[in-house]
Parts: sequence; C-alpha cells; structure tokens
Amino acid sequence: MKAFAYVNATSEREAVAALKFDGIALPLAGGQDLLARMKDYIDSPDRVVNVKNALDATVTATPDGGLKIGGAMKVVDLAEHAQVAKLYPAVAAAAIEIGTPQIRNQATVGGNINQRPRCWYYRNEEFVCYKKGGSRCFAVNGENQYHAIFGNDGPSHIVHPSSLAVPFLAYGAKFRVLGPNGEREIAAAEYFTMPTLQNVMKENVLADEELLTHVILPAPGNVKSGHYEVRYKASHDWPLVFATIVLALGGTSGNTIRSARVVLGAVAPVPWRSKAAEDALAGKPLNEQTAALAGEAAVKEAKPMSGNAYKIQITRTAVKRAIMNAAGIKTA
Amino acid sequence: MAATSFKTIGKPRRRVDGRAKVTGQTKFADDLMLPRMVHCKLLRSTLPHARVVRIDASRALAHPGVHLVMTGRDFPIPYGILPVSQDEHALAIDRVRFVGDPVAAVIARDELTAFDALDLIDVEYEPLRTFADPEESLTHSTPRIHDYGDAGNIHKIVSLGFGDVEQAFADADHVFEDTFFYQGSTHLPIEQHAAVAAKDPDGKLVLWSSTQTPHYVHRALAKALAIPAAHVRVIATPNGGGFGGKSDPFNHEVVIAKAAMLLDRPVKICLTREEVFYCHRGRHPVLMHFKTGVKRDGTITGLHVKTLLDGGAYGSYGVASTFYTGALQTVTYHIPTYHFQGCRVFTNKPPCGPKRGHGTPQSRFGQEIQLDKIAETLSLDPAELRLRIVERPDTLTANYLRIGTIGLAECIRRVTHAADWSSTYRKLPPGHGVGIACSSYLSGAGLPIYWNDMPHSGVQLKLDRSGGVTAFCGATEIGQGSDDVLVACVAEILGIDPIDIRAVTGDTDLTPVDLGSYSSRVTLMMGNAAIQAAERARDLLAEAVASKINVPKDRLVFAERRVFDAENPATGVAFSDAVCLAETMFGTIGTTGSYTPPRSAAKFKGGGVGPSPTYSYSAAIVEVTVEPSTGWIDVPRVWIAHDIGRALNPTLVRGQVEGSVYMALGEALMEEQTFRRLPPRLSHALVHKFPSMLEYKSPTTMDMPDVITELVEAPDPRGPFGAKEVGQGPLLPVMPAVANAVYDAIGVRIDEVPITPEKILKALDAKAAGKTPRYGPSRFPDIAWPETLQVPPPWEGGDGTAVNDQRRSVPDTRERHGASASAPGVGPRRYEKVGPRER
Amino acid sequence: MRIPHAHITLTVNGEPTEVAFAPYKTLLEVLREDLNLCGTKHGCELGECGACAVLLDGQPVLSCLVLGVECEGRRVTTVEGLASEGRLHPLQETFADLGAAQCGYCTPGILVTAKALLDEHPRPTRDQIRDALSGNLCRCTGYQQIFEAVEAAIAVEVPVADGRRSVLDTREHSARGPSEREDASEASGGGAPRALKNAASASGVGVGPHAK
Repeated sequence: MKAFAYVNATSEREAVAALKFDGIALPLAGGQDLLARMKDYIDSPDRVVNVKNALDATVTATPDGGLKIGGAMKVVDLAEHAQVAKLYPAVAAAAIEIGTPQIRNQATVGGNINQRPRCWYYRNEEFVCYKKGGSRCFAVNGENQYHAIFGNDGPSHIVHPSSLAVPFLAYGAKFRVLGPNGEREIAAAEYFTMPTLQNVMKENVLADEELLTHVILPAPGNVKSGHYEVRYKASHDWPLVFATIVLALGGTSGNTIRSARVVLGAVAPVPWRSKAAEDALAGKPLNEQTAALAGEAAVKEAKPMSGNAYKIQITRTAVKRAIMNAAGIKTA
Repeated sequence: MAATSFKTIGKPRRRVDGRAKVTGQTKFADDLMLPRMVHCKLLRSTLPHARVVRIDASRALAHPGVHLVMTGRDFPIPYGILPVSQDEHALAIDRVRFVGDPVAAVIARDELTAFDALDLIDVEYEPLRTFADPEESLTHSTPRIHDYGDAGNIHKIVSLGFGDVEQAFADADHVFEDTFFYQGSTHLPIEQHAAVAAKDPDGKLVLWSSTQTPHYVHRALAKALAIPAAHVRVIATPNGGGFGGKSDPFNHEVVIAKAAMLLDRPVKICLTREEVFYCHRGRHPVLMHFKTGVKRDGTITGLHVKTLLDGGAYGSYGVASTFYTGALQTVTYHIPTYHFQGCRVFTNKPPCGPKRGHGTPQSRFGQEIQLDKIAETLSLDPAELRLRIVERPDTLTANYLRIGTIGLAECIRRVTHAADWSSTYRKLPPGHGVGIACSSYLSGAGLPIYWNDMPHSGVQLKLDRSGGVTAFCGATEIGQGSDDVLVACVAEILGIDPIDIRAVTGDTDLTPVDLGSYSSRVTLMMGNAAIQAAERARDLLAEAVASKINVPKDRLVFAERRVFDAENPATGVAFSDAVCLAETMFGTIGTTGSYTPPRSAAKFKGGGVGPSPTYSYSAAIVEVTVEPSTGWIDVPRVWIAHDIGRALNPTLVRGQVEGSVYMALGEALMEEQTFRRLPPRLSHALVHKFPSMLEYKSPTTMDMPDVITELVEAPDPRGPFGAKEVGQGPLLPVMPAVANAVYDAIGVRIDEVPITPEKILKALDAKAAGKTPRYGPSRFPDIAWPETLQVPPPWEGGDGTAVNDQRRSVPDTRERHGASASAPGVGPRRYEKVGPRER
Repeated sequence: MRIPHAHITLTVNGEPTEVAFAPYKTLLEVLREDLNLCGTKHGCELGECGACAVLLDGQPVLSCLVLGVECEGRRVTTVEGLASEGRLHPLQETFADLGAAQCGYCTPGILVTAKALLDEHPRPTRDQIRDALSGNLCRCTGYQQIFEAVEAAIAVEVPVADGRRSVLDTREHSARGPSEREDASEASGGGAPRALKNAASASGVGVGPHAK
C-alpha cells in the first residue's frame, strides 16, 4: 500500500474533524476491509483516521425497549451478546457467519455496514469500473455469477456486501450519523442507495466527513424472526444469497401472520426488501405452505444476468427456510 | 525381516523436523534476512499475447532507492524444465504469452520502492491474437505462440496403439463411449514462492529457494546465466507446501540470481499471492473421450482414450503431462488392447504443469465414472466389477509397464467393508448416495527428466565418534516428511534412534544429487539409497566389532544404540564405540548409497512416461447428500484404503492420505483455475478470473468431512522396507467417487469437475424435461492425429518396440522422460484422416 | 512525502518491547521485519488464509490486517511465545507428535488460534475446534490430524501442584487410529467458545445448506 499519515482519534468529534482534510482521509475501524483495499491499491488515502477508540463499542438499552449498538462494537461481541441474541436473533445469526473467527475479532459493526463491494472487478486495480470513477460495469458482459438478480437497472450491478445490514433493515433499525454539522438519524431503509449515474461510487448516503456512530434497533414487539444463508464454503466466504424474515403474529391461535418484513442479501446493490414476499405472507397462517408461497413470490421480479439465474432457485429456498426457521419448523 | 522386528519403521512417530515446525523455527525462504539485502519485484504483462515493441525503464532506474532494472535483454539464454521445451526466458525478450508473464524486474532498497518503480517502466506492446481455448489453438495455427512444437499451436500430439482395439470393440458385448471434462486447478500452497540469491565470499552464486527440485534449478541457472555449474549452489529451503507447483525453474529465481551477481548484494523476492496464481504449473484442463469394449461379465476387451490438454503458454512438464493422461489406465485393470491419443495445445494462459497426480487424475476421473456406467448397464455391483478386472501382480501391461505387487483388491475389500457398501449402495434414501472408485500411481518416475544413466538418488553418511550420524541427500522437504524417511531408514539399519541422526538435505553443494520431490519418487528412491548407505556403514562397523568381541559378523545385531551378539545380547558395544572401532580399523567412516530404477520394458517413443519401480493403489468410497432444491452437495464421509506397501511412519502416511482426500474434494467440488476474456475494445485480454484465495475456493475446516483411512500393507520388494508412495495416489479415486455418489443419490451424471450446485440443478432440469440426466461435455473435437505407433502388446509377441517407427528401427533406450518430441521440422508428418473441423 | 516513523511500546510474548517503523506497516511486517519474529507467516496478506494469525490481547487476529501503529500498549503473542520455561506448549507437543504440522507453514497461525480456544474453553468439542479454526487454511493435512492434536492437547494438560500445567508423555497418543477419533471428540465435552455458530442456530436461525 501507499504511505499515509495516521491519526488516532480519541473522540467522535476529533474523528470527524480529522476526516475533514485537504486530501483523501478514510476512517479505519476494524480495518478488515480498508486495509485489504489499500493493499490492492483500490484506495490510497493520504490520511487514515483510526476511529476505533473514538466510537462507542457497547450495547445499551433504549427507553423504548430496543437496543443501541455502538459503531465500533466488534462483530464477535455482537454475535455473542445475550440481549442481541434474545431480541434480534437474526442479527446474532448474521454476525456469527461473517468472515472468519479472526476477522470477527477485529471487524466492527460500522465497518461491516459501510464496507465496499466484493465485486471481483471492483477489487481488481486493473478494472476501472463505475465504482472507481470509470464508465462501465464489467459484470454486464463479464463474469457475473455473484452479481445482482434484483435492482438490475444499472449502472452498477454489485450486490451489497454487508451481512448485518439485512437483519438491521428487517428489524427496522435506524443509523445515527455524525458529521461536521452535527448528528442525524437515518432509517436503514433510507441509508442504502441504489446506483445512479450521479451517485454510483457510493453505496449509502454517508458523506465523506461523516461517521456512522450507532445502530438503533426499535423494540422488536411480538415477532418471530428467521435468518438463512447459502454459501459455497461453510466458512470464509460471502453468502450467495441470504434472507432475514421478521413476522408479526396475531389471530386467535397466535399463528396468523399480521405483517412481515422480508429482506434479502447478496441479491441487489442494496439490502433488498421483497414487498411481494411480504404481501404473500400477510394474513396467512405460519406454515410450510405459506413459506413456500413467499419464496415463490420473492423471486417473481428477479432479473438475472447472464450467469446468475441459479441464484433465483437459491433465493426461493432461502426465503422459505428463513420463514421455517422463524416458525421453528424443521426443513426437509 | 518381519515387521515386528523393526524398531523405527512402522511405528507412529514425531517427524524429525516436527519440533522446528511447531516452534516457528523452520526457516522458509522468506524468513531469510541477510545484511545489505535488497528486494526484487517483477513487472508482469497486462496483455495475454503481444509483441514487446519497446521497454523504457529510464524513469524507474532514476527512482530513488532503485538499484537495478533488468529486461529480457539481460537474459538471452532460454531454459525450461524439459530438454525438449527450453521455451522460457527469465524476462520476456520480444513476446509476452499470458497476463502475468514477466517483462521487467526492479531491484530496490525495499519491496515498496521496487513496487512503486514498476509503475515507472513504460512498455509498448503490439497485441497479437489471443488463444483462449484449446479448440481455437487447434483450428488456428497462426500466430504461433511458440516457434516449436508438433504443428501450429499444437505443442505435442501423440498416438500409441497396443493391439487391435477395433477388433476388440467388435468382439465386445457392449461398447461404451463417453466424453468428460476435467477443469484445471492450482496448487495453492500457503507459502508464496520466495527466494534469496547472493554472491558468496568466493564470488560464487548461492540461491535459497522454495523449490521442489533444487537439482533442476541448479542446472537451469547454470545454463540460463552461463555460469559453470560448479559455481552455483542451490539450497532448497523447506517448502511451505508444494504439490507440484514449485517443480519448475522459475523466472524469479533466474532474475534474482543474476541481480545478486551484478550487484554483489543479497537479493530477495517473495511473490504476492496474485503472482503465485500466474506461476501456476497446475492441473491441465483436459477434455477426454473414453471408448471401452466389455464382455457381459465385465471383462474389458479394449480401451481407446483421447485427451485434449489445455497447456497454457509454456511447455513446462507438458510433454510428460500429455503422456501421463494415457499412461496409467492399464495399471489398475486388465486391458488387453489399448489405444491412446493425446494432444496438448498452447493457449495464452499461465502454463499448466504437474499438480499432485500429474496428468493422471483427469483420465482416472473419466475411466472410473465410465466403469460405474458399465456396471449399471451390466447389472453388476461396481465394486464387484472392479474386483473382477483388477490387473494381476508381476505383469507387464499392454503398454509395457512392469507392475509389482497389487493391493487393489484388498483395498476394495477393506473400503467396502468399512463403509458397509453392500447395505448402502443403491439402498440409501433419495438425496443420499455412495460411490466407489479406484486408482493407481507411480512410486517415482522410472526415467529422469534429462537423459543420463546415473543414479536418481544418492545418500551419503558421515558417522561420528559421538554416535551421531549425519545423512546427506539432495531430497527436498516439502512437508511430506522426506527428511523423516531418510532418517528413519538409516536409524533402522544402524539400530539407533532417529533423533541421533541429523538430516542435511536439498543443498547442491553439500548433498549428493536427488532428482527432487516430484512423481512420488523420494521415499522409494532416496529410501533405497539410504538403506544401501546405511548397510555399508553397518558392514564396516560389524567387521570392527566382530573382531573386537570375537563374534561372527553375521551374528551381530544393531539395535537400541548397541551392536551385540544375537545369541548373547549382553556381549556387545555401544554404537558410538562401534564407530570408534571402525574408524580405528578403516579410517574416517563415510559411506554412500545410490538408487537407479530398473530399466523400462517400454522401448517405443513415448514409453519413457509411465514406467515406475512399483505402483501404489487406492480405493475410495464417498458418501454424499444432495439437495434437489438447491443442488447443494455435502460430503459427510470418505472411506479410503491405500496400498502403501509398508508404512514407514504411519502418522505421516495417514497425513498424506487425508491431505490427498482434502485436495481431491477441493477439485471435485469447488476449485477452478479459470479465466475470462475481456471485450474486444478492452484488448480482448484473457485474465485470471480472480487471482485471490478468497475467490479461488478451497475447503475450510468446516467443509472437510471425516476421513476413514485404511492402510493396506503388502510389502513390495522394490521399495525400502517394502514401501510404496502415498503422496499422490490417494487423491485420484476421490473425484470420480464423488461423481458416482451423486449419481447414486439423485440419478444424474455430472461428467466434469468441479461438481457444483449449478451443474446439478441443470442436470436435474434435463432429467425433469426427459432429456439425458447429465451435465458434461457433449463432443470431442476432430483432431488430425499422427500415424499411430503400433506396439504389439507382450501377449502378441511384442518386445516393447513399435513396428512402424522407421526412425527407431533399432531399439534405443535413450528415451527421455517425456523428452521424445521430434525436433521441429524433422521428417514428414503423416496424418490419419482429417475430419470436418467444427467451431 | 516522507512520513516519520511511528514509535510504539507494546508487550510481545510477555516482554515489554519498543519499536519504530514506517507507520503504514502492518503488525505482520513489524513482527517479521522489525522484531525478527519470523515464526508468523504470510500466505496472502489480504486476510484470506489465516497464516498470519497472532493473539492481540489474547484474541486471534490477522496480523496482516492490523496496522502496527494500532498496537500501542497492547499484548501480542506469536508462535515464539507459546513455549515457556523451556517447555513447549501442550499444543506444540501434540501437533509435532500427531502429524498436525506437515509443511508447517500454516502451523504458527493455527497454534495461536487453538491456544486462544483452549484458554477460553479448556475442553472444546470437535465442532468447536472446527469452528475456531475455520479461518485458517491448511492445504496439507485435510485438518483431521490438526483436530486430533488439539483434542490430544486437552488430554495431556493436567494441573500439577504449583498450579501450572504439565505435559504427560504424548507418545501413546500418536498411536491413536482413525477409528478411535469419534470417541475422543465425544469424550471432550465443554463450554461454548466465543461466538459459537451452533449457539445461534439454536435460536431459530440457521445457515446452510453447506453448514455441518
């Protein structure tokens, strides 16, 4: 990697101030993505601002019964946090599958949400794609088996790399962001942005001088949630497809789905909310048949690329199984 | 000697280098730090095929901290591992042949400076047509990737006939024809290649390198740099994994050697992981066609194998690889008539070469799946079918390979018993299946890479008055445990503890030649040499002790660090005293041993590849579960039995078997060295799909199933204490056993690797649509094969020579290990009928 | 741009250490190049292989993805720090005895990762061992002898009078054949390690189908 200056920020304000810089300044948290990008010369900042010691790394209860998670919290700590596992089991489930044990020991919640795409064109210095200021997406006529099957209008066809973003979105989280002009809170659903020609080099609304300081999860209420990931390798691999399902139940038997959140990962440039699957679930009894219908509905609008139609079948299965997991039904 | 009488051999032991490895003290090449050391980085081609028009390195040379910049002009002499394929230059002279081909080198004060200076070298290229796929190379003879080879972009094309296969097919009750594809894969050793070169105080060259073949690197350096070989010392540092990937002399070794001589400073290079993918020399992608005639009872009447190898951009071991795709089919099962046609073409990709199993896993995959299909058609149990056709021991095969002992039938029995085959095969619920496959592998190539009549392995012993022994051998420790084999053989003969022996290995200045850690040759060849050296030392000591204690020499026993009278064990001397007595009687005690393989019976052109002193055998059963809804495959268990002859150290033997199963499952299920082509306006370049360990998927702890290993010990008199190889053979049966298990589970054939969920879903779709329930290649291209060399098999009165080879009417054993290529342009080439060429 | 060296104080293998280096160097580079601790290896330098794992404040991390400057005041343990008072760590003994190190290149990273597991969970199950080592690639062994060596290290660790660990003769363990392995893993019960995968799947969520 290129030489850079290093700033160790000790407070949120200091960190934000250090990011305001005449040159490229990037925040370093766990560094599991940033340092790899720097070594690959995808990013060559002039200044690296260590924000690990500046940001909150704890979980605190909120007055409304939810949880506030610090941006510098290690993924390993999130994965084993008892309250998180109790209230938001899909968050813990997603956390435990991230990377490897060593990566989870360093990676942070904020870093996971804000990491850059896994696309193999983006990650190769030689390919100047949209994400790097170029004027094409090499996946279109290239190798795209891990690319998007939803939200494929372009110009970029990456899939969003964050495992935590999907359950956070499904549980209705908000992200607290601090910048030179103060704090703001952004619903997870508004945080991630689809690529447009004007905004293709970023995956979210975070400005260069802003930091994601907290994830705020509302009280879950009376819900059941499920999470299911499909990957080639059982460790050290990004999922091919994954799904988080949050079901609000009611009815006389308590087994009728009042409303549902269905969010898919690794299928679109953003964590992908499937309204079709949610509609298919609403008002139905929670059983295998409903789960299968939701899986079917989830893929209706899929538009695969030349080499990733196989992800449709996997998405169907992942949605179904996530629902079955939520219902506590063993799948065959 | 009965097994029970061994003191060291056959006992599970800590390997002699075990402590160094667990304390982090093993010195790998990149762990060497020398005073005044500078660092080298290579500029690699960004185009897959181009003429190098101009290189301007002046800006790089002016960069602060840069000591030297070199280009192809500094390296006019070509080299290569095989004498017939001297097609590599350390840096490209006027042509680059794949993305990653080195063009220039920078030597600077540190890695970062060298890396930064690479950007300052301006290279002007003139792009040439790129050959991405073997069929393109077959159909387009220009531009030629190399100006040598059998024709156009065909590097090597061969046709060998042993008896009349057409008649055999006519005599058969059934004839099966299948086409298979085996995708390429790479070794992925965890250690990236690294080397350090220095000019020693006497002005001679020293190179430390993570190489499996220091002797061949020694020869290549002497040649490429025009330095007398006696002034070159190559030290093979312990390899952090090899698997065949460190068996060639490499560009970076030649470059830093020259740089160190020019600068008179140590120069280090450590390749990045990306560069390791470019070095490659891995498994050839092979398209193959199998035609087999069988009788109703399963007896094979004849086999015709055609292979098409995607060789990549350079020769490497490719000529040998080509023959290997056709060499060992006859070694497992009795095949009375055999026809092999193989063709290796050049393409603009990193060169392929030897990876664990070298050229044989591909055709083993085809043969073992086809046998599964044959068994089903004949309504035979596939294990039973194999038991019926196992080749007999001590026979000469149709292609003149001399087989020693065969433990294959016992392997099949052991593995079917362990896996409870009779109650699982075709009896498991849908989605669950088991599959069986077998294999064999050589215990060392019978011929060296360059022609000579000298030993393949030499061992020298120095006996010390302290009772310590030093064993010197050129063999290379790549993790397989060769140092341990060396020490164990000596310890057993001399009756001392392995810890009393120091192994000095892989150093061309200090150690006698051993050809290297390839072709599973070290245990057998070095082991036999070590035994001979140790027996000679034992004789000297015995004579001295016999005269001292007045006991007949042949009654002396060497054990427990003593030399004593078998009939009166109390009478004897300590081993260290025995050395002193011998030194008093004979002077300094040093002995040597050497090993030369037996002469091959194959005297035809091409018969140099395949012969081995003896062959190992393996049988594997793989259990799979397949999910029809996603195509997901899980392998919960693998049973494998391996005919090891004798396990010298069972702990290490088991490690080789399980490691082979691991690597095999990677190839069967996920590993692929694949490439993609950029659109024409982006240079049409052919680039590695992604040269990273993340995208090149290999199994983790969570993916690895339980492996149940059975060792079949039927000592072979040709091996040291009866031992055969184990490093490569156990890999071979696993891939076809996975494919056969998938068929047992869900009734679809996947006739290629890797067997991915996507391919399973496609095959299931085909099945649901009423089409052939299969995924795999549908055709083998028409190739203009040369006239077949007709070699009558032994049972037809043949003598191992071809009846129609004019140039070789006088049988000549000057056959090289794959070095039999005709010189370019020599003699008219006759072709058989040429079929329509399809695109 | 000339950037001044970073100068930090940290504890390496129990010894207070001061070191100065270019601020962009990773912990891996600082260990190998500036502290001459070459036992820690590299296989990719991108966080993809696990060979460079070291313990940072007792937790395994990838030293190739940690900047040296971040380690001010922290405790680093490398393979060189496993032995103490002239005695190898039990894991080192069993890895050497049971064939868990073939080429030995991934071994340092696996040893420190396994040590962290045993420090936290002295009697891990086979699944917990698999899980803990799932970020360490080994291309030689197929992992089985590694699992067995970790299990054998559990068996040989016994408390002695002064509270330190003692190592029994491990020779008998090397004779253990594959058929006995399952018993060994069953015999070793124990608590859940940090971030155990099956803990999550028990709570209505799961991963698959490749997961075991």
